[in-house]
Amino acid sequence: MARSLPAGGPEPAGSDVFSADPEVGRDLAAVDWTATPLGPPSGWPQSLRTAVSILLSSRFSMWMAWGPDLTFFCNDAYRRDTLGRKYPWALGRPAREVWAEIWHEIGPRIDTVLSTGRATWDQGLQLFLQRSGYPEETYHTFSYSPLRDDGGAVVGMLCVVTEETERVIGERRMATLRDLGSDPSVVRTEQQMLDFAAHQLGRNPQDLPFTLTYLFDDRAGDADGVGVSAVGAGAATGSDGGPGEGARGGGARLAGASGIAPGHPAAPRFLPPGATAPWPATGPGDGPVVVDLALPSGQPEGAEPLPSGSWQEPPTGALLVPLLRQGGAPYGFLVAALNRYRPLDAGYRSFLELAAGHVAAGIASARSYRAQQRRAEELAELDRAKTVFFSNVSHEFRTPLTLIMGPLEELRGRLADADPLVREEVEVAHRNGLRMGRLVNTLLDFSQIEAGRLRASFAPVDLCAATADLAGVFRSAAERAGLTLEVDCPPLGEPVHLDRSLWEKVVLNLLGNALKFTFEGTVRVAVRRDGDHAVVTFADTGVGIPEAEIPRLFNRFHRIRTSRARSHEGSGIGLALVRELVSLHGGTITADSTEGRGTVFTVRLRFGTAHLPADSLVAAAPHAPVTADARPYVQEVLGPPAVPGTEGGAAGADGGVLPAPAAPPARGTPGARVLVADDNADMRGYLTRLLTGAGYRVRAVGDGVEALEAVRAEQPDLIVGDVMMPRMDGLAMLAALRADSRTAAVPVLLLSARAGQEASIEGLEAGADDYLVKPFAAAELLARVRANVELARMRGRHARWRAALVDALQEAFFVCDETGTVLEVNAAYTEILGYGPQDVPGPHGPWEETGREAHDRWKLAFREALSGRAGRCTLPVDRADGQRMWISVSCNEARDPDTGRRVVVGTFRDVTAEHYAVQRDSALAALALRLSQAAGPDDALAGALDELRQVWRADQVLAVTFGDRPEPCLAATGEGAADRWQRLPEEDRAELVRLRDRPALTPLADGGRAHVVLEHPEGPLVLRVDLGGRRPFTPEDQVLLSLLAGRLAQGLTRAHQADQHRRTALALQRAILGPARLPQGFAVRYEPAVPPLEVGGDWYDTVPLPDGRIGIVVGDCVGRGLDAAAVMGQLRSACRALLLQEAGPARTLAALDHFAAGVPGALCTTLFCGVLDPVTGRLVYAGAGHPPGILTGPDGRVTLLDQGRGLPLAVRPGAERPEAECVVPPRSTLLLYTDGLVERRRRPLNEGITLAGEALQAGRNLSADALAARVMERLAPEDGYDDDVALLLYRHPGPLELTFPAESSQLAVTRGTLRGWLRRCDLPPGLAQRVLVAAGEACANAVEHGHRDHPGGPVRLCVAAGADEIRLTVEDSGRWKPPRAEDSRHRGRGIALMHAMMQEVAVTPGEAGTTVRMLTRIEG
Amino acid sequence: MTPLTVTPGTGPGGAPLLTVTGEIDLANVQVLARALEALQDTAATVVLDLTAVEYLDSAGLSVLFRHAERLEIVAPPLLEPVLTYSGLADLAVVRAP
Repeated sequence: MARSLPAGGPEPAGSDVFSADPEVGRDLAAVDWTATPLGPPSGWPQSLRTAVSILLSSRFSMWMAWGPDLTFFCNDAYRRDTLGRKYPWALGRPAREVWAEIWHEIGPRIDTVLSTGRATWDQGLQLFLQRSGYPEETYHTFSYSPLRDDGGAVVGMLCVVTEETERVIGERRMATLRDLGSDPSVVRTEQQMLDFAAHQLGRNPQDLPFTLTYLFDDRAGDADGVGVSAVGAGAATGSDGGPGEGARGGGARLAGASGIAPGHPAAPRFLPPGATAPWPATGPGDGPVVVDLALPSGQPEGAEPLPSGSWQEPPTGALLVPLLRQGGAPYGFLVAALNRYRPLDAGYRSFLELAAGHVAAGIASARSYRAQQRRAEELAELDRAKTVFFSNVSHEFRTPLTLIMGPLEELRGRLADADPLVREEVEVAHRNGLRMGRLVNTLLDFSQIEAGRLRASFAPVDLCAATADLAGVFRSAAERAGLTLEVDCPPLGEPVHLDRSLWEKVVLNLLGNALKFTFEGTVRVAVRRDGDHAVVTFADTGVGIPEAEIPRLFNRFHRIRTSRARSHEGSGIGLALVRELVSLHGGTITADSTEGRGTVFTVRLRFGTAHLPADSLVAAAPHAPVTADARPYVQEVLGPPAVPGTEGGAAGADGGVLPAPAAPPARGTPGARVLVADDNADMRGYLTRLLTGAGYRVRAVGDGVEALEAVRAEQPDLIVGDVMMPRMDGLAMLAALRADSRTAAVPVLLLSARAGQEASIEGLEAGADDYLVKPFAAAELLARVRANVELARMRGRHARWRAALVDALQEAFFVCDETGTVLEVNAAYTEILGYGPQDVPGPHGPWEETGREAHDRWKLAFREALSGRAGRCTLPVDRADGQRMWISVSCNEARDPDTGRRVVVGTFRDVTAEHYAVQRDSALAALALRLSQAAGPDDALAGALDELRQVWRADQVLAVTFGDRPEPCLAATGEGAADRWQRLPEEDRAELVRLRDRPALTPLADGGRAHVVLEHPEGPLVLRVDLGGRRPFTPEDQVLLSLLAGRLAQGLTRAHQADQHRRTALALQRAILGPARLPQGFAVRYEPAVPPLEVGGDWYDTVPLPDGRIGIVVGDCVGRGLDAAAVMGQLRSACRALLLQEAGPARTLAALDHFAAGVPGALCTTLFCGVLDPVTGRLVYAGAGHPPGILTGPDGRVTLLDQGRGLPLAVRPGAERPEAECVVPPRSTLLLYTDGLVERRRRPLNEGITLAGEALQAGRNLSADALAARVMERLAPEDGYDDDVALLLYRHPGPLELTFPAESSQLAVTRGTLRGWLRRCDLPPGLAQRVLVAAGEACANAVEHGHRDHPGGPVRLCVAAGADEIRLTVEDSGRWKPPRAEDSRHRGRGIALMHAMMQEVAVTPGEAGTTVRMLTRIEG
Repeated sequence: MTPLTVTPGTGPGGAPLLTVTGEIDLANVQVLARALEALQDTAATVVLDLTAVEYLDSAGLSVLFRHAERLEIVAPPLLEPVLTYSGLADLAVVRAP
């Protein structure tokens, strides 16, 4: 096996077998083949040459082994993909030696192929190849198929291999990344997250034999130490590190580990500052660093070995990857031990970096969550403190409020002529000071009532005067609102005991309400007496109160939802307070309302003092004017009055930007856009100023409807909206935003005056991102706004991370909705299919387009997925560039966490190579089957073409063989195909001729057509596969075509050889069947029961005897097929020899009895044997158990030759054989046959014999040959003869055929012969002479005219007798010239004589001569 | 040559007699023709005895037609159809032997 020939030496003979690939071919040619069991290539069998050609011409990775040593061959693709450094050493070596390191895996498979002839299929088999200088973890999908020699024996194997290392390892890594991202809970502590990550990393011990996560100890910066001191249960880490001094400088502590126990020498729990081993305490810096573990620095000899993950050997290297922090120093670093069986290539690096990136993102998320949680706790604490504070010191409000309001009043007066903007600021402060005063008062009143601390002082009061005065306060406001205020307060004649200040609150509240909800008409206050009660009514013509609301009208904090109001401001405690106040007076209040019509409140107060606590009674005070300040009530109803001198007062202008407060408490995220929605113009203005001052870009609107419009026009980073707004409130706005996918993600911060757990839950359930209760501090608002804006931006980062992860998947990834519409795809999807997310065709993706079958498969998988099971299918799809490929799709149902919508998430990978491998194997198997079933080379080729057509669903497959024949031989499939070379279009013929000299088995594709040349035994064969231009012929198609063509070439060679054998056999068979030439008058037929063999146990024979007689034999050996034929051949020869000795039929049969006794299988042969005198018709015959001959006379009478009967051969050797004699009358027909002709199942033999007699009678005037054909046809069963049939037919006398030279002297001789033949026909008197004369005239014409210029040319006379017809033909090879004048009478006389003598005369002149046909019927 | 003999003699009425034996066809018709021509100027009637003729074809008939008016033909039944269908019997005297 040594490589011997020096480069450039003479090429060994036969090396053209390697010509398909010049490069690998040269190396193959250089192998010293003589040292291998295969010997020199010149001596290789065709099958090996074919296999090598296929191998070399393929661009698919393949290797093969041949012969006893399984000598190794491979092609260029295999060399490149798999063989590596073993090339060219491996060529020509035993495969066992080439693949020694994996022989334990592949050897048994190869043995299986060789011993069973069945192909193997392995998908993704792990093999450690020593091809790159180290054992490399690789995965291969391959098929071993048997290779057969010219004789069909399995002598080798072909391996088609696809290396799948990238895919398998890529999937494994992707699974790890996916699992890392599969954290089901959004919120975790940092340690939980690290434990989870370590668990997931530990599930990939191949790529990550062990991992360590070190975090820089920066707890010094972490005030409360909550974040990172938690110790995980699984990967327990000590917090034994020293105090930190900040990131990096403070050492690093082990926060997570997989595949290695914390505390292992290679996994110290703490890396003190300055440590360098086993890992540097400062980490790898900003980029990954490789650490060589083969020489562990700082580890003493004999130390604990490193864990090896799923491998036998420990890792030899590790990658340190920093855990990067957005905009800051790394959190720490990840130590990833490396798989020693894979190179640290870009894919491996990026996997490790992505994994580290995920850990880093998890840390960021956990720390951010921790910070937020802390802030929320702080806020809650603050809230509690505030509540305590508020309840304790609320009464203290009055003082500062007074101190505010006093100077403000002063300021207003003094600034009457000041700058309008300054004045406006003061007005706002003033208005809200009033409002706040009222709210504080109300709350204090209420809390005092609640606490039972309110001390009322009841004095007798003139109720009418007091009420009318209070109502008067609203007069101007009512007028401004366009309402009529009616006050009907006649004196009651008796005072009512009231606490005057409290009564004021009752009246102001009720009147304020009436004004607020009345848009036109009247507000009426009336006082009257009703028995011992004073009754005060407050009636309006306003919007009214829904009936259902009335029972809760006076409940605390209950606000009536009404369609319209002048303002939605209000505390919701006004009416509750009123009722409390009325109760204090011992009175009642009721409400009566009709929606749309108006509301009446009725207060009933008792006269006298009996119902009041005695200690609360005071003496009557002088009538005092109204002390209460009604302005807050009025302003609440009607809004701020226009300030003279400030046109279009800024506070009222929506979206108006007011000067910012001087010192914003917190800076916001620069440039973030905030939309403010509030119906209170002051609040709107205040929020706008506050947020603008913090650096936000603010837009303000008055209600939810406007907010929606604004959001849709330009999406803000945050919406700050009030819950209570007219037209559309905050909750409705939120629902509308969330329902629209374009705005669903916009964060919303709701503001409400309503406090309490219930309200905030309602807001958060509606999808608010945050919730703030009025009153709020500016700083708190800004903090919340900022947190929400940043959180939203971070969510964006998460979305980007997810997108990057999805894009990093090597498998194509897509998301589609319930209808199948593709919503999202990743980069691999685009790469595999060539379609981007926008131009995916079809409602269901590209597979929608590739035909019914693909559509149905996808629909099924899709339904599976929607019903909660995993859907899988393999489909054909067309790439954007039109290339057909196959993908394997998996899909599952999922729910979009944001919208709750059901989606289907799917992945797929390109399985085109696998698909084609399977297709290849099945096509090869189908072709082999077709070839094995073929009856001959033509059938084999036709079947193969049909198979090829099916493989490609081609329009047409065509084969042209350029052999020795004058024109190339064409075979084609398809309807309307040309069936002959000459019928092909000229350009096709030219192309095919051009292609025939191409190298064999190297396909040439051109658009939708491909050609390949293969070696046919008769010459080169050009094969064309025409796809009709529907799709291109891909490289995979070419590989397949090459393989199939190779197999076809072998098959055709075999079929051709088989055909030659068959032809030889047939020639031999015919030789033993019967005489090639039959005597005159005989016709025979032979129909074997077992095609294609043309012999069987039946036979016929005619033996011309020396005395002119003819021996006739028809026999039938037991059995069929070749065995019976062998017996038959012997009996036939023996019988022939006996007859030639003139033994006679009886003696012949007797002798055959003895002969047959010695021939195995000859027993019971039946036989008819006769000797016929063709002149006299005398027939001597004997039968040996054979069915009788049938003789039909000219008169139609049927006679059976049933005399001379004896037993079948060899049954009683030595017994006497009888013999019979008969005369075959002239113009009669004798039929001899074997029983296959007449025997029918479940029918008597006589029936068949009668039928045969009738057939003979019906065809009595046909020639013997035509009659034989007619009999076979008439007696054939519907589904053909099921037994051998031999038939021999004789018409007596046989026709006379003679040829003589065209000389007049020959006429008499001819006449003499004819006269003799006519005598044998037993014609009526005179008829023979008439035939003689007619024949004589025709012959004379032939002599005289036909050959006038060429005397001596041949004239042929033929006469045949039917039962009642004589047919006569005279042919010459000349031409009857136009008669000359002098002999025209004579000529005319001759023809006239012919007509006179015969009943039908036809003279046919022709190029080759003149034929005269005549017929006369025999009558009488 | 087809065997044919023509033997001259004298008929019952003293008329010249030609007795023909054999077969008359294209090959030997000249023999008969010459015999008849030799007698052309000597007699008004020639008796032609064809009793021993087994075959007569149209070439022979042509010769006989040429001399039909003065021929008295003695013909066997075998030749009768030929003489009848050719129309010679209408021109020459034909009688049975």
